[in-house]
Amino acid sequence: MKLSDIKVQKLFQKTLFGVLSLFGIIGLSTSILLIYTVNDYLSAEYEDNSKDIAKTIADSSVDILLNRDLAALQSLIDQFVEIQGISYIYIADETGEFLAHTFVPGIPAEILADDPTSTETVERKIDGMGHFVEVGRPILAGVAGTVRLGMDTGVIALKVQRAIGRQLYLVCIIFAVGVAAALWFVKLAANPLRDVLAYAVALARNEEKEVSSRGEVLERKDEAGQLARLFLYFSRGESRDDEAPPGPAGPTA
Amino acid sequence: MNRRSLILYGVGGSLVGAARAEPAHSGVTDTEITLGMSAAFSGPSRGLGIELYRGASAYFQHVNDQGGIRGRRIAIKTYDDGYQPDPSVNNTMTLMLEDEVFLLFGYVGTPTVTRVLPMLKKFQDRNIYLFFPFTGAQPQREPPYGDFAFNLRASYRQETAGLVDNFVSIGRKRIAVFYQADAYGRSGWAGVRAALKRHGERIAGEATYRRGSKFTGTMRRQVEILEAAEPDAVICIGAYAACAAFARDAVDHGLRVPIANLSFVGSENLLKLLTEGREDSRQYTYLLVNSQVVPSYESISVAAVQEYRDFMQRYDPEAPTELVQEAYAPFAHSFVSLEGFLDAKLMVEILRRLGDSPSREALPRAVFSIKDYDLGIGERVSFGPDRRQGLQRVYYTVVDEGRFVPLDDWGERFA
Repeated sequence: MKLSDIKVQKLFQKTLFGVLSLFGIIGLSTSILLIYTVNDYLSAEYEDNSKDIAKTIADSSVDILLNRDLAALQSLIDQFVEIQGISYIYIADETGEFLAHTFVPGIPAEILADDPTSTETVERKIDGMGHFVEVGRPILAGVAGTVRLGMDTGVIALKVQRAIGRQLYLVCIIFAVGVAAALWFVKLAANPLRDVLAYAVALARNEEKEVSSRGEVLERKDEAGQLARLFLYFSRGESRDDEAPPGPAGPTA
Repeated sequence: MNRRSLILYGVGGSLVGAARAEPAHSGVTDTEITLGMSAAFSGPSRGLGIELYRGASAYFQHVNDQGGIRGRRIAIKTYDDGYQPDPSVNNTMTLMLEDEVFLLFGYVGTPTVTRVLPMLKKFQDRNIYLFFPFTGAQPQREPPYGDFAFNLRASYRQETAGLVDNFVSIGRKRIAVFYQADAYGRSGWAGVRAALKRHGERIAGEATYRRGSKFTGTMRRQVEILEAAEPDAVICIGAYAACAAFARDAVDHGLRVPIANLSFVGSENLLKLLTEGREDSRQYTYLLVNSQVVPSYESISVAAVQEYRDFMQRYDPEAPTELVQEAYAPFAHSFVSLEGFLDAKLMVEILRRLGDSPSREALPRAVFSIKDYDLGIGERVSFGPDRRQGLQRVYYTVVDEGRFVPLDDWGERFA
């Protein structure tokens, strides 16, 4: 092997692996935390908003229901169903008869099978439509009916995905910058080591010309210089036992 | 304004006197009274707006040719809303605040009109009134918005009640409803529900479709839903494209029961979709029964119908060319254009009663002065503070020999 071919690849690979592992752990843990936090937050936010909207509809419906103007009632809920995330709205009277709804092509069997006058929040899967969180609010304390509103959980999932996507994008950028920085720092550390190694090999091979050409490493004030001087001391120690080993910033040869 | 309209209004304008007082209100000048119209001139329901406009134009053109109303020609400022609520609201804002029309006339559709009505209340200090919208829904007939609109046609309640009563009378008590998922559909649904309730019955089944559905789309799922309810008859509350698709798929799927449509459907456009290019034109039309709010345009013994046919032939009115971008072949005669014609005829009578200085404030008084007015269709027209709908009668038609004709005997046809 030529002295110019000497590299410190193993040390380099381990450092890189360490950096990658560290970033992987950071990215994974922050994403999991983010999914949990965003999902939790958005679900609560959407549910609260849905309840507010349901209450608004319930409050607005009283006069309309008492006037039996179902066209106006339908017009009212049609406007609210245009809000993002609100998938369906239906209003039932106090007997449970559906008075207005936004379903096409018809009221799903899952909803027909349930109690339309309930005001409880339920999670619902409707064939062909998806998964929903459904909230309810009474109209005139329930004596005039109930308004129920279905919120698409797919919208929340999409928002979570977008938030995580943005987070991962940021982590990837930090990761790329981190790897580049790590490479640079490792290279800074590896160069003196490579010089020491080449110097030590030259000493071991007794290549006087090579030893003298790589003598600069003995001038260094850092650990690489100390190591080089130590190698020189030991190589000479075999012939000159009276000399003391060099100190941390000892004299050069 | 298209070329034909320019000719139309130019004649009226040339007869105007030289000196006039300042106009009392916006939308009225010495030479012109401007009406504002927002309707469907595009999309799957464009036939409704186009035919209503054509019918009204025929009569206004005649009036303008005769010198207008006290020297003022009648102009219609038109906008396309595609039968969608939001554009309709925007168009109304423009008509009221920028164009400053004298009044609103000939709006098309329940989902559009129900959204416009609150605006009329909001700007009630401007005294803007909506005349003769092409919808039979209740909101413009009742408080809190009834004070801002005047209706000529019978209501959906009356149409659906008539259909239900006739079906029940021939033993068809299990009635299902196919309806547009909006205020229009709900209005008709509520009418059917109320009428059935009087007979001790309930709606047997219901299915909906989205507004704007096309004839090329499928209604198989809706047919399956209603078929499962085993109905004796189906009442459709929709526009022609979707209702034609439903009738086609119902017959193809083996649901062979009478299928009724309301006047809003646009009977001629419905018939055209179901018969055009088919060898057996009766295949999809034999079980149709359509309610109408004007007499048949085939009834030439009716004075106003004869007048309508004459004017349509004489003026051959076009749709506003700047608004109609999609291909459309107008009908020589149709129930919708006849309704537009009658709307225009009554509108002219009201404008005449405003006198030399028309004002918006005077409009209600002029309308309420209409008592037992003979519009030329046999049924007299009356208005009053508690009577904001001029006509009450509903007509029923079926398809024979490729056209809609009056239905005389329900039992013979559908029993």
